[in-house]
Amino acid sequence: MNNPSDDPSKDVREPVGSVVPGDMSEDPDDDFRLVARAQQGDLTSYDALVTRHRGRIFAMIRNMIHQEADAWDLSQDVFIKAWQALPRFEAKARFSTWLYRIAHNTVYDWVRKRKIESVGELNDGIFERERIDSSSFTTPSGGESPDASMVQSELRAKIEVALGKISPEHREVVLLKDVQGLSYKEIAEVMSCELGTVMSRLYYARQKLQTLLKDEYESR
Amino acid sequence: MNPDEAKLALWLEDELHGEELAAFETWVAENPEHHAAREEARRWQAMMAAAVPATEDPPYPEFFNHRITRTIQELQPEPVPVSATGSGFSWRSLFMPLAACAGMMLAFWMGGKRQPGMPEIDVTGAPRAIPVEPVLYTPEGGVKAEWFTSLTASATVIVLDGVTAIPDATDFSKTAFLQQAREIDATADLNSEPLSNGQ
Repeated sequence: MNNPSDDPSKDVREPVGSVVPGDMSEDPDDDFRLVARAQQGDLTSYDALVTRHRGRIFAMIRNMIHQEADAWDLSQDVFIKAWQALPRFEAKARFSTWLYRIAHNTVYDWVRKRKIESVGELNDGIFERERIDSSSFTTPSGGESPDASMVQSELRAKIEVALGKISPEHREVVLLKDVQGLSYKEIAEVMSCELGTVMSRLYYARQKLQTLLKDEYESR
Repeated sequence: MNPDEAKLALWLEDELHGEELAAFETWVAENPEHHAAREEARRWQAMMAAAVPATEDPPYPEFFNHRITRTIQELQPEPVPVSATGSGFSWRSLFMPLAACAGMMLAFWMGGKRQPGMPEIDVTGAPRAIPVEPVLYTPEGGVKAEWFTSLTASATVIVLDGVTAIPDATDFSKTAFLQQAREIDATADLNSEPLSNGQ
């Protein structure tokens, strides 16, 4: 795709804030109704599903790889793969959890492919947060005073750098738990690992991040 | 009761419910040091939630959706004829070429086989091709036409006697179309510059 960030006037990103677990603003029942219609081939219903979930998937992927253009393309891949796999989706889990699972696989496939293509060049640098692109999120969210926005933007930048210094598995578990608000069980489904592994990863990830963000964290 | 680590982790993240939560709260009341850990977890989550948005619309969201829809439409398989969508395997599709082959072999066999009751035909006395004398037609009266043929030369010559001689001054261009080079360029000069307005 062309770099959408070329024209800032058309940048319509709207940060909404973190999800409170159990937030009913996006009723899972609505998802299931739309999924049922989409499974019958109704593209309009699927388009509604994309609109409902694109923000979370894009934010999650962008926070994982920190390259906006690639995150845009990968998010598209997630929804196209989800459409292809939709006949196999059973309402055992939330649709959003299922999407996170597809996003997880898509991102790791992409990273694996990039590593193969760039053997000896980037090593593990694909996930490195030091390579944050120039279009990283720094614009203030609505309703905050300029000072508070600046503080939040600075904090976010520092968190992004800190997230880049921990392993992809630790980063993902922190993003899913502390940003996206998934439960331990849901994270285990997304990452395809044991509940105890998720708990362990989250514990060590938080410890490391709190060390890296010691000044910011203790001042709050 | 002394809960395991997993249950403690679930309680710290507010993921215990119902009877499990009630039982755990009873235990925590006797072990208040865990409340501090819970508050710590909540403080951390609040900081992360405030700084990192969970939802962030992709740039050009309408185009984002449109591209997905277009890709999905391109992925849709071409409509398959109803007859081919049935069982996937049809005995008819197997037997049809075999039946056609068998029919052809039978026809050849029947054609090559002499019927036992039929008399044998002697073709030695059959008529050969006879040269037919052509009929010549001349629209002008008083004209005599003769024709000569040579089988060895594979040639036929027709001689017209009595036809008025054609004068040398006859202009054949009036009776036949002869393309002239000038006519091609008569309406457009390909090498000329286009005329400007007003010219």
